[in-house]
Amino acid sequence: MSGAGFNGARRMSCDEVAPLLVFLACDEVTADERAGIQSHMTECAECRAQLAEVGELHDSLSAMPQAADELDRTGMLLAQCRSELSESLDELAAPPVEQESWRPFGFVRRWMALRPGWSAAGLLAAGAILGVQLLQWLPTNDSNLNGRAVNVSAAQKITDDQLAKMAVSAINFAPNSDGAPGTLQVQLRAEQPVVLSGNLDDSDMRRVLTYVVKNSDRFDAGVRLDCLDALRARIGDAEIRDALLDAARHDKNSAVRMKALESLREVASEEDVRDAVLESLEEDANPGVRVEAINLLVRSLEMESAMPVMPGVNSDEPAVEQTAPAALAESDPSVRRVLRALEQLRRNDPNHYVRLRSAAALRQIGPAEVQ
Amino acid sequence: MPLPHWALALADSAGKSGEHQAALASVTALPELDERALVVEAQAGNRAAFEELVRRFDRDVLRLALNLMKRPEDARDVYQEAFLKVYRNLHRFRFECSFYTWLYRIVTNVCLDHLRRRQARPEDQAPEILVNRQEEGTRDFFEVQREHRPALDPERSLIGKEIRSRLAKAMERLSPRERVVFEMKHYQGLKLRAIGDALGTTEETVKNSLFRATRKLRQELGELR
Repeated sequence: MSGAGFNGARRMSCDEVAPLLVFLACDEVTADERAGIQSHMTECAECRAQLAEVGELHDSLSAMPQAADELDRTGMLLAQCRSELSESLDELAAPPVEQESWRPFGFVRRWMALRPGWSAAGLLAAGAILGVQLLQWLPTNDSNLNGRAVNVSAAQKITDDQLAKMAVSAINFAPNSDGAPGTLQVQLRAEQPVVLSGNLDDSDMRRVLTYVVKNSDRFDAGVRLDCLDALRARIGDAEIRDALLDAARHDKNSAVRMKALESLREVASEEDVRDAVLESLEEDANPGVRVEAINLLVRSLEMESAMPVMPGVNSDEPAVEQTAPAALAESDPSVRRVLRALEQLRRNDPNHYVRLRSAAALRQIGPAEVQ
Repeated sequence: MPLPHWALALADSAGKSGEHQAALASVTALPELDERALVVEAQAGNRAAFEELVRRFDRDVLRLALNLMKRPEDARDVYQEAFLKVYRNLHRFRFECSFYTWLYRIVTNVCLDHLRRRQARPEDQAPEILVNRQEEGTRDFFEVQREHRPALDPERSLIGKEIRSRLAKAMERLSPRERVVFEMKHYQGLKLRAIGDALGTTEETVKNSLFRATRKLRQELGELR
């Protein structure tokens, strides 16, 4: 569709205008295109809405803080870069090192310089072999060294009294190289400072972390979040799960309650967890926590619907059939309760975003009539 | 949004700035020399002239690198690699475009390389820093909204936060070229032709990348409307 339009501008169709809107918003259209678009806009509400949407995107982007402003506020990074560049330039400008007249093991040195990885491995292996061999020849009277290991880290026992009086000054994480949860170090301030090292297999460690999580009035929110981070790795443990459920229900800080809910993600389909989540959904005053609860419920139903109904004889075989969450609703009363709670939220929650999220969740998991 | 130094330079990339002769450098203080004279001096091996060139443009280089890479350590690598490339190849620069354009081309190519490598090996990468994320534990977003800023509309704040978080994630999903084009257009304010010059490609290609990038971001926000 073309021809003379408003102010003599060429008439443009919606199909012609649509790809130009992005460029109109960033001032990259020609005068003719601009006139054509303006003329079209006067009579096409749909394209006006599209343009408003593009404008909205640009406004949102402009409101976003730029990484450069946030990541180098003080100019420290720039100074660091300048200094490193200067060092690199010095190295490039440095005259080549004069050849030595006599170079013992020159071939080995050249070989090692070109293969740093192999050299390091070789040196380590040589050191280990030398160390093991030399130890056998060294005379020693120290009975401790005669094949017996010396345990230098005695297990700490934390008493109830210490627990009641302690304050946590820091929690440090040292993950394993394979990404699995590794060693934890908890620094406690009690009558005398204690540093507790170990992992979640250690009962003292579990006791301290769950104690902190359950006593939100005594410990800083940051410390409680760190504890949740540590505990989530062992969510199958009943004591840990109780502590997380307790935090999700009762912690006074909404960030901690959200984190506790998020930590329960992997066991979201279990009954006690679902009860706690429903409780948060219905009673938590904070809209962010309610949204996290919705997310968790959606996940729990998805997990449940993904469980095999008729597993094969061999557990490695794929499930014969999967059930949709909507179908589960017919048989499972707790699923019906979830759907009812979401429906309630969709209609009555005071927060607009929570209502939107509940509607989206119902579309995702609900019965056909709400989809 | 004020245009960065680069944008003005790229808008006039004919390299008209320098009519001074290199001989002037010996009697004029380096900071007073124009770019052309500085480049000539640096090409002749004057390290101080090169460092002066670096100081004139490195703030913008680091800014671009930080905005694109979103990680200080990566931006630092880009800065080093780009200026060392400039240093090693300065003798090849023939003033066919402005020095800024040439430098910008090098920086964007280094950024593209890093982004492509990052995309090829995501498992080796630390996550990008979402700059608008509140530090958990130290400040509770919802509580701050409710308790200390009651005048603000909490729903709008919540949706605004969600939009920003989705946009930041959607930016990560753009291809390296789309990301560079979008960044240079939206935050650096460059014209499409100047972006094409910097990337060594046509304006049409840049237009396509910008169109695709914007479409992806709009899709990401679509569900919130």
